Amino acid sequence: MDADERLQIEAAQEDPARFGELYEQHFERVYAFVARRVPDRAAVEDVTAEVFHKALAALPGFQFLGVPFAAWLFRIAGNVITDRFKRAGATREVSLADDAPELSVESEADASDRRADLFRLVNELPIDQRRVIVERFIEQRSIREIAGRLNKTEGAVKQLQLRALQSLRTRMEGANA
Amino acid sequence: MPERALVDRLDDAIQVTLAAPEAPVDRELEPYVIIARALRDLPRPSFRVRLKADLQRRTKMTAATESLQAVRQTATPRLRVKNAAAAIDFYKKAFDARELMRFSGHGQIAHAELAIGNATVMLGEEAPEYGFPGPEALGGSPVGMHLNVDDADVWVDRAVAAGARLITPVTDQFYGDRSGSVADPFGYSWTIATRVEEMSVAEMQKRMAALESERPPRASAFMPKGFRTVTPYLVVDDAPGLLEFTARVFGAEETHRSFSPGGPGGLHAEVRIGDSMLMIGGGSTGHPLGRPGMPTALHVYVEDTDTVYQRALAAGAASIGPPVDQAYGDREAGVKDPSGNVWYIATAKGEHYIPAGLHTVNVFLQPLRAEPVIKFMERALGATGVEKYVTPDGVVHHAKVTIGDSVVEMGEAHGPYQPMPTMFYLYVPDVDASYRRALEAGATSFSEPGDQPYGDRTAGVEDAFGNQWYLATQLRETRNA
Repeated sequence: MDADERLQIEAAQEDPARFGELYEQHFERVYAFVARRVPDRAAVEDVTAEVFHKALAALPGFQFLGVPFAAWLFRIAGNVITDRFKRAGATREVSLADDAPELSVESEADASDRRADLFRLVNELPIDQRRVIVERFIEQRSIREIAGRLNKTEGAVKQLQLRALQSLRTRMEGANA
Repeated sequence: MPERALVDRLDDAIQVTLAAPEAPVDRELEPYVIIARALRDLPRPSFRVRLKADLQRRTKMTAATESLQAVRQTATPRLRVKNAAAAIDFYKKAFDARELMRFSGHGQIAHAELAIGNATVMLGEEAPEYGFPGPEALGGSPVGMHLNVDDADVWVDRAVAAGARLITPVTDQFYGDRSGSVADPFGYSWTIATRVEEMSVAEMQKRMAALESERPPRASAFMPKGFRTVTPYLVVDDAPGLLEFTARVFGAEETHRSFSPGGPGGLHAEVRIGDSMLMIGGGSTGHPLGRPGMPTALHVYVEDTDTVYQRALAAGAASIGPPVDQAYGDREAGVKDPSGNVWYIATAKGEHYIPAGLHTVNVFLQPLRAEPVIKFMERALGATGVEKYVTPDGVVHHAKVTIGDSVVEMGEAHGPYQPMPTMFYLYVPDVDASYRRALEAGATSFSEPGDQPYGDRTAGVEDAFGNQWYLATQLRETRNA
């Protein structure tokens, strides 16, 4: 783990109010990790919230053993998911090994990181493009509904959607190059 | 135009992807669709903000076991207010609210989320033109907000210090809460409660029954015989003089006179004119009122306007207008008595000299604008059956507002007819409930509900137009009808 991260963790261990910085850095990653395994948005939010609450409570006991902080959070997340879905008696496959039985923690981190990068890039889009993305993909509204809500024509909303996706594609490719 | 075609084809592909993520797609569009699939998992921005606020709150506390409700509670109130920005500031001061987010559009706050304790409250600017009216536009909110806090006394004090109006002071309730309530400046009322004793519903029922049986037997009616809902209360410098004037001019019959040196002036009397009661009080010889009186405008129906008008002048009144036949069918005159009360003396030309629906004596208000006064009377005092005569240019020339079995008349101020704020003695079925409603409707309290030695439970409020309302419920029958 890099030195900056270590300093951040030590700061938060000393003063829990500094936990906010760790949260800011890891929210998207944890959310993406959970979203890949848990069926619906409400459950993703519940699990993500629980992961961060558990991490906050367990932080004083966190030891630097060369494991990245994200990996520690993923392990908590894995446990929360297993716990929750075992308890609920759910039969749905939500184990870590769902699509890739031999997936290591490292490549897990990579996959979630890419998605987290995408989520962060959405936050950097111009406000009207971002609005369209949120309405279209989170709320899953039709172009017509969005046009009504944003007081724009349907054509303009589709244009914003295209621009947003083009911009995200370019930036994602730039990030992975 | 290939670009335009791409726009539409992409949206079609996205539509398919949203419905069936694994559906095959056009090669050219594949890179976008991969992104679109991932975006379905995009976190809600509000969730990200709220979870952070929740974590931050917890870092300030020692216990790490607080509920997760604020993160995503299933049901959340959404308040519509006029001036959302001011409301947010107020809730921060009054209830220690923390702003989680605000979203503005067209220069107004369309949506904001506050955390109060461990709960989320949403609010936004009202938009009556789009069908989202706030309490002000509706004349109040039927929904009450309830806060469960660790110390209701402290919270109510802080809310009042921030500008809330106290509606009920904090008291122990039979059902195990210690609670009070306040009205915020934006039209919502908040009950603030601390649980002091846990009990079953059966226990609550038992305690309520016990309370009811402890209560002394109530009078059979909430108003004494001979009284109606509305009784004007004329407070003047020379109460005996006014009593004599009403006796000489209108044949008023005095049914009660008492003197209690405590109050201003100290004289209190009740007289009957025709089918109506009047209360007259204030100063007398050696006992000045010590403050300005509250002269009142009254509409009095008599058998013969001309005779009564002459008697009034002989008794010292000044003429406002000699008797004339009015277009609407009354013969009417006006006088001002030596205490400053205005008497519109009238005889109806119909079957009876008192028109149907009115009484011998009717209060006549002359507010600058009638509409807000009527609104207040409807909301706070249960007024009904408003009849209005509005001129083409929008002036409310004459309105009759029914409260209980009485009518209050009004006409908007014009020329010499200027506002004369009036004191009312109003009989209501439940003085405490009426008092609360009046405060919620914007009145200020000058006397909290209390039992009076003369058998009524009364409270006093002043409306925004300067009228004073003694609200009363008869507890014991002490007056002889």
